[in-house]
Amino acid sequence: MIWVSSRWKILLMVAPALIVFTAFVIYPVLYSLGFSFTKFQGFGAPEWIGLDNYVALAADPFFWQSLQNTIVILVVSLVVLIPASFALALLLRRRVTGGGAMRALVFGPAIIAPILVGLIWVFILDPKIGLLNRVLGFFGFAPVQWIGGDTLTPYSVALVFIWSSIGFAMTIFYAGLQLLPADVMEASALDGATGWQQLRHITVPMMRETFAIVTILMITNVFKIFELVYMLTGGGPVHRSETLVSYMYFVTFTNQQYGYGMALAVIITILGAVVSVGYLALARGRKQPA
Amino acid sequence: MSAHLIDAAIEPASEFALAEPPAQPPRRRRGRSVALFAGAAAYLVTFLIVLPILWIVLLSFQPSGNILSNPFSFDQLTIDNYVRAGTALPLLQMYGNTILIALVSVTVGTAISFMAAFALTRMIFRRRGTQSSLRFYLLAGLAVPVYILLFPVYRLDLALGIFGTYAALILPYVAVSIPFNTLLLTGFLREFPGEIEEAAIIDGAGLWRLCTSVVLPLMRPVIATIVIFNIVYVFNEFPFASILINDPDMVTVSLAVSRFQGQYTVDYGGMMAAATLVLLPQLVIYAIFQRHVIAGMTVGAVKG
Repeated sequence: MIWVSSRWKILLMVAPALIVFTAFVIYPVLYSLGFSFTKFQGFGAPEWIGLDNYVALAADPFFWQSLQNTIVILVVSLVVLIPASFALALLLRRRVTGGGAMRALVFGPAIIAPILVGLIWVFILDPKIGLLNRVLGFFGFAPVQWIGGDTLTPYSVALVFIWSSIGFAMTIFYAGLQLLPADVMEASALDGATGWQQLRHITVPMMRETFAIVTILMITNVFKIFELVYMLTGGGPVHRSETLVSYMYFVTFTNQQYGYGMALAVIITILGAVVSVGYLALARGRKQPA
Repeated sequence: MSAHLIDAAIEPASEFALAEPPAQPPRRRRGRSVALFAGAAAYLVTFLIVLPILWIVLLSFQPSGNILSNPFSFDQLTIDNYVRAGTALPLLQMYGNTILIALVSVTVGTAISFMAAFALTRMIFRRRGTQSSLRFYLLAGLAVPVYILLFPVYRLDLALGIFGTYAALILPYVAVSIPFNTLLLTGFLREFPGEIEEAAIIDGAGLWRLCTSVVLPLMRPVIATIVIFNIVYVFNEFPFASILINDPDMVTVSLAVSRFQGQYTVDYGGMMAAATLVLLPQLVIYAIFQRHVIAGMTVGAVKG
């Protein structure tokens, strides 16, 4: 390829992507990091205050509340979503009439804009007009404050997140199941293994990597949850249902505490990376024979 | 991370979604009842997942009085809500803006990513180290979450004097698509033998002809994946749009939806009709391209 590789031709090919990427991704990250050490309200010059924003974060009850909510959503989502989507993949893998259509329907919520997902679920979860409380009322139960109350919102957000991600996770599991060698299954069936034994001792261990991929994806996506909270409660009442990202958005763009907001953004980025890498390290460690 | 899984999802983009499940090994006694139970469970779960959407559509046809008092009735259905929503919503404008932004950003993003990927895998650099570190530099963007970029990009748009134009939104969309595009494109090019290209060069093709009439046609499946993944992203994107768009005439679909609650306040029927008007076109397009969308997004996520 030496013929087409003159220096200016290489430059011509690489420069556009390099310039746009540097200007709108790398430079902004450094900019955020820089701003996180300043106090800036949108006018005048940013004032250098060192680590003060980070110290203030540690004392900010809303930060801890939003961190706690994010952790609740993360744990509930992982505990429910991973087994449920795997089970669904196993179900849909059987020959069922309309299996293809069901796979498409189940995946559907993944392509709906998160902002619209939020709006749709307002009409399910709203304590007064929502479908859920109407159904409960029909069976004689008292209405529950799914959103907008003091405690339940993070769980409801987790439910909505599960709804929008289950088909997506299922599809990845489904692809993983297709890759399992059929002969192992046949051999174990001949040896008299029951379906449950096959699942426990062959399918699940062989799909360890797929489980890791889905888990990492879901961790990353939980750390991005923003639109759902924005539509369901707006973070309220008094920031009780805020997630880390929605609180960051509020601090930065509603309160215009830009320096403080960027410190929060930096912390969220680091937390997200640490949780993902930590999980990967755990998953790798478990793989090694004890 | 896992070459096989990715292959299963990407290469036979259609096969992956089409493939009939392999026949289960024969089971003796309980086989039938288990199959029956599994089938019923699958239908039930699918129904539950579709239910919220059905509920929205049902509400959108209810007269306003019924939504609060008697939402399950079917005898007074009306299209009044759609008439109100249709007159209140600048549907054409919303879709026009979103389609324009999506088309330009995805075209530009794909084109410049392809150029970079081609150079980083096929062209001869004076020092090989430069080549691999540039690739690594672009891929590093995969670790950057979008929300840390919101405020700096807003400032940057202001400084560049493009705030208030479509470019203010298009440029960051292009930029955040580059790492993922580079990953898929360089991954494909690295596994793909360069002999055809060498033959084309010997036949006298220049760089432009080589790229447009030899390499690009071969890369159609990867390009399709990238385009679908990015279009879905841009169509659904909200955080950037909420900060970088001020002008009511430039509102995107997501942005418009975010304002429904304020706009319709207690006109739930109107709100639901508006939501349905946004939801249905998307679902129809999804139904048509379902296999490609699923394959495109799954590969996207697995690789990213």
